[in-house]
Amino acid sequence: MSVSQNVLDYDLKKSIHPNRLVGLWRLMTGFRLNYLGANLSLGISALAKTSTYVLLRYFVDHHLVARDAAVPLWGIALGFIGLAAVEGSFSFMSGRLASLTAEGVARRLRNYVFDHIQHLSFTYHSKTETGELIQRSTSDVDALRRFFSEQGIGMGRILFLFVINFIAILQLNVKLAFISIAVIPFVLLVSLYFFRKISKLYENYQTQDAILSTTLQENLSGVRVVKAFARQDYEINKFERDNWEKFLRGKRLMQMHSLFWPISDTVCNIQIVTGFLIGALMTINGEITIGTYLAYAGLIIWIIFPMRNLGRLIVQTSTGMVSYNRVMTMIKEDREPLDQGDHAPADGLQGKVEFKGVGFAYEEGSQALENVTFTAQPGQVIALLGSTGSGKTTLVNLLPRFYEYTTGSILLDGVELNRYPRRYLRRHIGIVEQEPFLFSRSIRENITYGVGREVPQEEIEAAARAAAIHDVILSFEKGYGTLVGEKGVTLSGGQKQRVAIARTLLKNPRILILDDSTSSVDTETEAEIRDALQNLMKDRTTFIIAHRIQSIMDADLILVMDNGSIVQSGTHADLVASEGIYQQIFNIQTRIDDELEKEIASVG
Amino acid sequence: MSDEYFEEEEFKAQVNGKTLRRILGLTRPHLRWVVGFLIAIMVVSGLDSLFTYLSKLIIDEGILAGNKPVLYRLLATYGGLTLVQAAGVLSFVFLAGVLGERVRYDLRQKMFNHLQGLSLSYFSRTPVGWIMSRVTSDSERVAELVTWGLLDSTWAVMNIVTAMSFMLYINWRMALIVLAVLPILFWIAYEFRKRILGEFRNVRKFNSKITGAFNENITGVRVVKALGREDANLKDFSVLTGDMYRTSYRAAWLSALFLPTVQIIAAFALGSIVWYGGGQAQTGGMTVGGIQAFVSYVTFMMWPIQDLARVFAEMQHSIASAERIFSLIDSVPEVKDSAEAYDPGTMKGDVEFENVTFFYSDGDGKPVLEDFSLKVKRGETIALVGPTGGGKSTIVNLVCRFYEPKQGRIKIGGKDYTRYSLHAIQSRIGMVLQTPHLFSGSIRENIRYGKLTATDAEVENAAKMAGASDFIARFPKGYDENVGEGGNLLSVGQKQLISLARAVLADPEIFIMDEATSSVDTLTEALIQRGMDTMMEGRTSFVIAHRLSTIKRADRILVIEDGRVAETGTHYDLLRNRGKYYQLYTTQFRHQMEQALDLFNQEITQGI
Repeated sequence: MSVSQNVLDYDLKKSIHPNRLVGLWRLMTGFRLNYLGANLSLGISALAKTSTYVLLRYFVDHHLVARDAAVPLWGIALGFIGLAAVEGSFSFMSGRLASLTAEGVARRLRNYVFDHIQHLSFTYHSKTETGELIQRSTSDVDALRRFFSEQGIGMGRILFLFVINFIAILQLNVKLAFISIAVIPFVLLVSLYFFRKISKLYENYQTQDAILSTTLQENLSGVRVVKAFARQDYEINKFERDNWEKFLRGKRLMQMHSLFWPISDTVCNIQIVTGFLIGALMTINGEITIGTYLAYAGLIIWIIFPMRNLGRLIVQTSTGMVSYNRVMTMIKEDREPLDQGDHAPADGLQGKVEFKGVGFAYEEGSQALENVTFTAQPGQVIALLGSTGSGKTTLVNLLPRFYEYTTGSILLDGVELNRYPRRYLRRHIGIVEQEPFLFSRSIRENITYGVGREVPQEEIEAAARAAAIHDVILSFEKGYGTLVGEKGVTLSGGQKQRVAIARTLLKNPRILILDDSTSSVDTETEAEIRDALQNLMKDRTTFIIAHRIQSIMDADLILVMDNGSIVQSGTHADLVASEGIYQQIFNIQTRIDDELEKEIASVG
Repeated sequence: MSDEYFEEEEFKAQVNGKTLRRILGLTRPHLRWVVGFLIAIMVVSGLDSLFTYLSKLIIDEGILAGNKPVLYRLLATYGGLTLVQAAGVLSFVFLAGVLGERVRYDLRQKMFNHLQGLSLSYFSRTPVGWIMSRVTSDSERVAELVTWGLLDSTWAVMNIVTAMSFMLYINWRMALIVLAVLPILFWIAYEFRKRILGEFRNVRKFNSKITGAFNENITGVRVVKALGREDANLKDFSVLTGDMYRTSYRAAWLSALFLPTVQIIAAFALGSIVWYGGGQAQTGGMTVGGIQAFVSYVTFMMWPIQDLARVFAEMQHSIASAERIFSLIDSVPEVKDSAEAYDPGTMKGDVEFENVTFFYSDGDGKPVLEDFSLKVKRGETIALVGPTGGGKSTIVNLVCRFYEPKQGRIKIGGKDYTRYSLHAIQSRIGMVLQTPHLFSGSIRENIRYGKLTATDAEVENAAKMAGASDFIARFPKGYDENVGEGGNLLSVGQKQLISLARAVLADPEIFIMDEATSSVDTLTEALIQRGMDTMMEGRTSFVIAHRLSTIKRADRILVIEDGRVAETGTHYDLLRNRGKYYQLYTTQFRHQMEQALDLFNQEITQGI
């Protein structure tokens, strides 16, 4: 039951192999004994089943017909019970071991994929869709799990049943044995043919199911529009159309099923009736005993009918293989090495940042930053001003090494930035986004999210107070235990931002990156956030991505950016005095106040 | 929240006769199909028992008697009957399968149709996910019960009865041994099934948690990285997968134990038969074929038993599903037409609120509006301003008659509007929501939603009037451009313009607009303004306003606070008062000018 840490920590990258069967075998590392055990148990169980028929033969021939049995009647009765017990316990063992394997493999795969995803680079994440990643980590992993628990074992079962029972019939009579497998290729062909079609039809059915769900969901979430335009009848018609299409596709699927079962039944039955006929004639002619006939009549069913499932298993396995590929292409991606780097001063950072001719390109040829040079002394506030796409965000993303600068050099406390391990840098850099992402955990957990230690309640509250969110939190029914998001309380943009500020205060970083846009926040909270930010910026080297001049007039250095380069830099006083973009913006903002005065004056 | 969450919501029902009858009633319109598959399955099931009996005859009267003609005859009968059985299989799979799809279809349609008539209050207190799982998974489960559930149990009962009859006929003493084991077998099978079902529900629960964790870690990956939470998150996640592992293992373990247990118990019956029957045979009371038949019947007996147990175990959940479906179908709309409701042909006229008090039934019972009175003249434009939660949306909802006043009344054209039909009112109201809702499909289809019979020229004209035609023309496919699920391929501003065009096309008599707070670029903003002007021209309009230009243009401004009108008047009157409006206006002015004059043409930046 318990799985050793070794097995859990196995690096699944090693299980990548161009041959998918080899890959699947490697995925089982650490569980192979279980899996072999599962198959072995299956074999023993099949053997016991076959022996039951051999025992039946002995019973009939020596007790009922000849009455020359060496084994007493009660012994035979016990034999039947004993064989059933053996068959049952080993089939149980097999199920148990197979599920240990499948669930173990799935668990390891889930953990690995989860960890892998959070270690993939920003570059990977920005070009991959969320839905796609989720599908790979959930349904594709599940398809692999099913491969180990159902298809792999299922095929093993069919093969064992076939081999063991065939050998048993061979023992009974060679002629009978070969006659009884004549039909197997047909059974296999029929089931393969139908299951290809069935799985295709099933896919169609599922596609329509998704369409119908979307229609329903859009109707429900747009209920006000539907009502406001009184479009109920139209909606009913639309849903009816999709709904009917789903019915039709379901009907086609069922039609295929309703053909498969009787047709494959008939093919199997032809074999069985022929077998009965030949067996019976041989018995009458004295070639075999009546007991042999009975054993044969029982065994033949266990050879033929399971074959019907083989087609289904083969078709399902091919979907499992597709999933293997999909999961592995993801696992193939390189992780971002968090601990690579040789410089991690134990006493923390001073916070001096120097950019010297820094350049960066997301892709070959499109330069996102070019020749950026400036110096930030410890504790200074650096403001970045510029339009969307001017490179402000890219610039700050270089600091925690979310991306690696391609040219020039960034010195942090005099040391090249890429000598610091990423983990170290991120521990000492705090980021407050404009619309911060909160996790669907309690507010308390969200505040302590980045700290990595137990935090006493007083400390949490102190941070929340400094972030001007404490009172808001207390106004919720469950206070700090309130769940964020669904099923819980919805926080406004400003409230989220203040939770993120509290989170960053607790983390206590040397360097701070702020996205200071308050456009989505109403005016009342704007002042509160401003105070909270002031608390946060104290004594830290701060980079502000700014959108308005008011918030950065006190900055030690303002960088005006355009098209990936710094076009102007200096303090507010410098920049206002010299001609350029900054001056223009400033003038506009002062004009606003004049206009307002005029407007109010005009009404008297 | 995933569907599973709502599905797993514990809701076990006792098997209750009334619900069961109502469930079976679902098949009434398709009674012939039910009768058809029941007959087919009974034939199939009876033949299964008969085949075993035929095998006995083949042994006793064919082989042992050495009688070849009899053997041929028996085998020919056997072969012929397998064809009959194949026909039976074909019929029942087809009939039950297609009927199942049909019942699913019926149930979904019935629920959907009913939902269209329910009031807004129902939707505001019922999560979308809850309704979705009623329509999807619950209907699935109920349809399963009335088709395959009914079929399997009929097959099982028929099989047990016929097999028992043959056994009684062959040797009644031995048959009684088998009969004694049956209840034990059934009880064990049922207990197993119940537990297995419970375990698999737990597995599903954990599974949806795992999906949730993946979802969150992927969407929040930037924060995870920035805060260095990788190790802690993996630890939390490992706990989850560990739980999943143990639960799945338990479920698989129980399932693996189930059949062997039943088999071993059946083996005891088999042992007794061999022992007792062997003795009988030696004294001539039992033939070889007879014993073989017993062995077959008993080994086979566990299948009907386990089927029956499964249906019984699942029935409880299916009935719970049915009860949830019925609760949806039985819910009564709170706002509905009175018996003598009529369509006066127009909604032009004054709109009056007379001492209206309103509170949301699912809220804390505190009135959102209290003793609220307002008279809006035909063609007048009213701007509603004030803090969130003050009651602006409620006023608009009442005008649309999404809700009705709890006290007081609302008159349109001088008459209490509850005397009109809902359709009469709502088909003459045009509405643009704060977060515009579009349906997947083309732009054209979305605009045409305002007037289904509109020609392409009318659609395009409406777009032009709403100021949407320019950006639409820039799409490669123009009006046939796909908007994506919920319109997510378009920007917020574009969605607003399209929903405005939709309202223009509807040519309503009353216009309602809830202005968006989020910023759109200056050009789009100007287009929206122009479109609104077109709409408000000559129509009674209510605007929940955030933009100064809209506010200033209104005939009357109402500052709504705490469910009442705090100030009212024109822009100039109110500014002069230096009251609440003055404060609102000056802060908003600053804010908006900063945005409008922003050299950077600022948009809300995407996260770091």
